[in-house]
Amino acid sequence: MEEWKPNPAVKPHKKRSWYLAWKYKLMNQRALRKLCQTGAVLFLLVTVIVNIKLILDTRRAAYEEEEESAQDYDDEVLNVEVPRHPVNNKKVLDVEVYSSRSKVYVAVDGTTVLEDEAREQGRGIHVIVLNQATGHVMAKRVFDTYSPHEDEAMVLFLNMVARGRILIFTIKDEGSFHLKDTAKSVLKSLGSQVAPFLSWRDMWTFVGKKGGEVYGEKHAKSPALSTWGDPVLLKTEVHLTSVEDAECHWPDTELNRRRKRFCSKVEGYGSVCSCKDPTPIEFNPDPLKDNKVFDVPVAVIAGNRPNYLYRMLRSLLSAQGVNPQMITVFIDGYYEEPMDVVELFGLSGIQHTPISIKNARVSQHYKASLTATFNLFPVSETAAAQGGLLNSFLSFLSQSIHLLEEDESLYCISAWNDQGYEHTAEDPSLLYRVETMPGLGWVLRKSLYKDELEPKWPTPEKLWDWDMWMRMPEQRKGRECIIPDISRSYHFGIVGLNMNGYFHEAYFKKHKFNTVPNVQLKNVESLRKDAYETEIHRLLGEAEVLDHSKNPCEDSFVPDTEGKVYVMFIRMEQEADFTTWTQLAKCLHIWDLDVRGNHKGLWRLFRKKNHFLVVGVPASPYSSKKPSSVTPIYMEPPAKEEGAVAVPAVAAAEQT
Amino acid sequence: MGLFKTAEKMGFQWLKIINKDPRLDGMDDLSGMEIPLHYIFKLASHAIHLVVFYERSGNYLWHGPLRLKQHMDRKFVPFQKLHFGRYPGAYEKPELLHVSIDDLRVQIPKNPSSFLEEMSHSRFLECRYREARAFFQLYPDDASLDAVEFRIKAKSLLHSAALTLNNLGVKFWLSSGTCLGWYRQCNVIPHSKDVDLGIFIRDYKAEIIPAFQKAGLPLKHKFGKVEDSLELSFQGEEDVKLDIFFFYEEEDHIWNGGTQAKSGKKFKYFFPKFTLCWTEFVELKVHVPCETLQYVEANYGPDWNIPVKAWDWKSSPSNVQDNGVWPVSEWDDVIQIY
Repeated sequence: MEEWKPNPAVKPHKKRSWYLAWKYKLMNQRALRKLCQTGAVLFLLVTVIVNIKLILDTRRAAYEEEEESAQDYDDEVLNVEVPRHPVNNKKVLDVEVYSSRSKVYVAVDGTTVLEDEAREQGRGIHVIVLNQATGHVMAKRVFDTYSPHEDEAMVLFLNMVARGRILIFTIKDEGSFHLKDTAKSVLKSLGSQVAPFLSWRDMWTFVGKKGGEVYGEKHAKSPALSTWGDPVLLKTEVHLTSVEDAECHWPDTELNRRRKRFCSKVEGYGSVCSCKDPTPIEFNPDPLKDNKVFDVPVAVIAGNRPNYLYRMLRSLLSAQGVNPQMITVFIDGYYEEPMDVVELFGLSGIQHTPISIKNARVSQHYKASLTATFNLFPVSETAAAQGGLLNSFLSFLSQSIHLLEEDESLYCISAWNDQGYEHTAEDPSLLYRVETMPGLGWVLRKSLYKDELEPKWPTPEKLWDWDMWMRMPEQRKGRECIIPDISRSYHFGIVGLNMNGYFHEAYFKKHKFNTVPNVQLKNVESLRKDAYETEIHRLLGEAEVLDHSKNPCEDSFVPDTEGKVYVMFIRMEQEADFTTWTQLAKCLHIWDLDVRGNHKGLWRLFRKKNHFLVVGVPASPYSSKKPSSVTPIYMEPPAKEEGAVAVPAVAAAEQT
Repeated sequence: MGLFKTAEKMGFQWLKIINKDPRLDGMDDLSGMEIPLHYIFKLASHAIHLVVFYERSGNYLWHGPLRLKQHMDRKFVPFQKLHFGRYPGAYEKPELLHVSIDDLRVQIPKNPSSFLEEMSHSRFLECRYREARAFFQLYPDDASLDAVEFRIKAKSLLHSAALTLNNLGVKFWLSSGTCLGWYRQCNVIPHSKDVDLGIFIRDYKAEIIPAFQKAGLPLKHKFGKVEDSLELSFQGEEDVKLDIFFFYEEEDHIWNGGTQAKSGKKFKYFFPKFTLCWTEFVELKVHVPCETLQYVEANYGPDWNIPVKAWDWKSSPSNVQDNGVWPVSEWDDVIQIY
């Protein structure tokens, strides 16, 4: 084995990193070390000072509740005008409009103001209205002109838009099938060359000024019945006018300032924004004599249906005896346009963050609205308006509200008669006590809400209808509501959580509404608990028993008289047996989806202008009035329901 | 508005203080409606301070604090000298009287001295709604029927007690579990068994017991005596009771006493000195200690924010101390159970 001998000639190998070499070199220089240390300390000091200053500043700001940007405490400037979309100081807008089978979009200066590529929805003609001076979107609508009557709605809408506005049209999927000649000629009058010839599955875009020039139009015909036209993309420029040219010049008053703010922001409200003779936004309805509801807070429950809200507020503010100071509009969601409508009328509005989904969302909105109302107005009653209120609503309430205060057996007063149809309601001065609670236009006692309902209100995850919950025996506890024979409130229309067209047609269209002003309610004191029983017994004593061998569904069941009182007896085995009543309600075309309007097994309505009483035997205590010779009528449900509406849980329609 | 234009024409300068409406604060996520709280009108060296009062549930009037926003002129008037605005304040609703002063028709409180007297102790504390919401995120609220029922009973009991004590002119505040419920969750704690109130022993009146009896709340037990560790308990509806603890003030602390009936053992609960502020709880205007956190921590320790379902009044509180035993000869006097 070889031995390894060290080679004395070679120097020892000092393998040292470059970094270490440099480091040791530096460490040996005291001055440099000192400098670095001082530098580090200085740096630390500066950091600490900056932090301390920051903390102090933040604390001071928090103490003084710092605001966002400069808020002018000048009372006149209420709202900082926040443009909805970024506004350039350009005089020209770049507009892009796209139309195709499955997608539409509209972009203004690069900002998409409309985009719809969802399947199975948004079919028809989309219309966008721009402000001709600022380019802001004032209205967005879609009219499914594939379906009937939508073109009429579109014409109505277009007629309400002010002259000078910029109109943008685009078709998604199909928009010509029910586009009738009237609509086509309206479009033609706006400057469209293509509209009169629009046909099946054509794609079309159009930008024009109402009463002015056309900015662009593009069209693609569908080559065959089974296919759609090619997508079209229209790019065009729109010249903006000056702000003065885009506004009306109303005299400068507080009201007109509100009007101006509203009308520069939204379109589609018609003559309230007309330059000449605009519809008034302040009403001076006649005061009510001995007004007992002047201090009752009114909560208007609203969703995102600004046009309905507009009509509703108009009718509410024109009602005799209204006190606008007591009205608060609760909007379920942070929607701008309903808030704009509220501000137009100078009312207070509160927006509520929606919680939960579907009917639970509505129920939480009601809870928030009622709690807030009682917090803001710590007084005894509150009236909740949903849907429309007729002029006579407050007058009706003013004459009956003392009953709610004085009679503990009352749950509510409502302005809606579930069974009050054109053919079954007659007397505007008549009131009933019923065991059910109608969900439109009602008044609640504060103690009832605060002490009983609010603590138990369904929590957000419970998907219940609020009014079904309120009608449950645990809540109602055997108490009753007072309703008028002829309703003083109305239900709004087709779109809503629990609504569809058929349902509306079948159950709401033929409802009877009171149009007579200044009705003096008859015999209000007889609505008290015991007095009502006396009244019923009196009526039953006076009533003529009808011939029970005839078919109650036939018109001939009731003689051709007027103003008489008739009574009929139906089979009602026990309190909850509504078999016969439901069949009777069905054939009389009144509310039959659940049982409404009963009082101790008794229903009251009108037939052929005669007062018609229905008594359930033997469940009703009034069965004793039945002559022994009479057999109560029994009606069985047919084996198979024809035309049954598959609507599982139904409530009074909501405006959502 | 007409008032401001007219004032300006007369030469006034004016300032408006607005802020969020506290009546909506308790509600999750309602868009803040800002309400006017104060107006100041200045002319030469005179200033008129217009304080805006709002009526709130609980039948009282409330006004907000005067806080200047960043851009406001701090020298507009000598704000420190103003009588209202340092804190929010609560007042009884005064009856107003029309009078004529210097040919001006104005309204004044029917009982001016009583209104002015309220000023020195009008400070109002808003319930901590945001913290309560945060608490419920961590510990979801009990929505069971039992809890709801208990809350309803407790609220009703509290209202009766407040009415009775107010009629007697006896000052009281929310104590123990009831105070914790207000501070922590702005509501009655569902698993608490009773309603707790505190009264300074110097405010004790012998009429308290018969007054409660008349109000339908009979005396359930009486521990201690006026001189030492007095405690009263009244029976509310079903099994909810009202416990009234009497507080004794010393030089540098305040204490209340407890007694264990079967052994005669005495306990003392210590609190740092506190003053009383108004607040609104279950639709009632009531007092709470202004220094609430200190008070709650003394009683429940640093973990007061964690719900404890099993609470033993003899050992659970952080501020409890043994205080000996009642001499047997006194037992008949200091331990009375009905």
